[in-house]
Amino acid sequence: MNPTSEVVHAANALTSWIRGVSTETEELSRNVASLLERNLVGKSRVDKAALLGLDEVSREFLAKNTFAVGAGTFFAAESVEEGARVLEWWSRKESGVIGRLDFDLTPGSNRYYDYEKLPFFSTAASTGEKSVWGPYVDFLGFEEYILTFAAPVYVHGNFAGVAACDIRIKDLEPLIMPTLRAIPGDAALVNASNRVVLGNSGMYLVGERIKSGSPNQHRMALDVPHLGLSLIYST
Amino acid sequence: MASQTPFQSQIYRSLPEIERADAIVDRITKAIALGLLKVGERLPPEAALSEMFGVGGQTLREALGELRERGIVETRRGRSGGTFVVNQPRTQTDTMRDWFLSTSISEIRDLGDEHSAIAATTVRLACERAEAHDFDRLQELARALVLATTPESRAPADSRFHIELAVSAQSPRLTAAEIRLQEETVQQLWTPFAVGFDPEQATAEHLELVRAVAQDQPEKAQKLVLEHIRRNIFHLIDTKLTLGYAQSIQDGQ
Repeated sequence: MNPTSEVVHAANALTSWIRGVSTETEELSRNVASLLERNLVGKSRVDKAALLGLDEVSREFLAKNTFAVGAGTFFAAESVEEGARVLEWWSRKESGVIGRLDFDLTPGSNRYYDYEKLPFFSTAASTGEKSVWGPYVDFLGFEEYILTFAAPVYVHGNFAGVAACDIRIKDLEPLIMPTLRAIPGDAALVNASNRVVLGNSGMYLVGERIKSGSPNQHRMALDVPHLGLSLIYST
Repeated sequence: MASQTPFQSQIYRSLPEIERADAIVDRITKAIALGLLKVGERLPPEAALSEMFGVGGQTLREALGELRERGIVETRRGRSGGTFVVNQPRTQTDTMRDWFLSTSISEIRDLGDEHSAIAATTVRLACERAEAHDFDRLQELARALVLATTPESRAPADSRFHIELAVSAQSPRLTAAEIRLQEETVQQLWTPFAVGFDPEQATAEHLELVRAVAQDQPEKAQKLVLEHIRRNIFHLIDTKLTLGYAQSIQDGQ
């Protein structure tokens, strides 16, 4: 059975909004890469001097993209000179002020934020493509319930790290709920693991995984490359 | 600072980015406990400490304030003034002993009641919501407990497992509740008193729990986690009885 025009319209609106976020994240990654290429002047590993001005890139991203609560770059350990900071992350505080967020990067420490093992980083590292991870509780990181858009950073063709932005689930809700609410039946935006990012009713609750589809549950893949998002709707 | 011994440069080495004041308190406390800094010894001047630790004056003063409050150091004014080590810090074991002596069995049972309520829902939701990535991570965290070789490293390994179980249940509130409950009980569980706590059994229980979650068996997972907590609580009550009432048995005889 063909989707109704409401479903098609909602899918298009979601696709267009998410593409926008994905494109912005990709641009962030490109800006990081070109800044590093300028700063590195022939050196192969990222050192303190190469990070000069990187804070401004994150801050500009956050100033422009008000949907995001955090943005920045995590570097692959092997691309960084020993002793340099291995990430540059900025986040919007409750007051609206943008400030640097620090993480515990000491291996073995109780609060060690082992970001290279986290899916937003490891997926970009292994596939070389953009990705979206979440919703997830970012324990030891931003420590909120978030969605992370990520894009690998290539410096002179080599993988150097991941540029990413976080969107708080509670901030995402008012942004895309009107679109989902325009669908008459139960509907939800779901991620590649079949986890609900946001649903338009109690039927599909954020964070839950959609199990075996009933015959009246349908799926429409959203055309945003590599993200694996789809729209689920019931008739 | 030219005449630093290797031990001194160890104590004053630069710090990770966060929780700097806490880390300074911790570093100095440990150094005194280990005898690297002795009672009566004067710490370097504040400006030198700030520089060595790589922190601002405000952070350093916060740390020294905390050490003073704990009665470990004292700051004296005047020409021969400075900050002096005046007392051995209380050890973890002392602090835990106080906890057992001042906490009643009904309170320990009640902690277990709350933990059971939180954990039962957490594992049920984890069964529904966790995915392959989470199972691998939980398994790795479960194994970390048996690989931890000291009581000090077992406590964080144990609590990390339970916290990340709540993370895999996708609930920020349950995660926060689990963190709070772990902070209240995990040190007590692993500080070795008369009866030690067996990391191998705890690890086996954690691994069985991960299997039940991975196979989406909520009832089994709930049963396992409730038994796990009950065993923990029994151990705490045992320790409480041993530490708090050993004397009364003798008195009664």
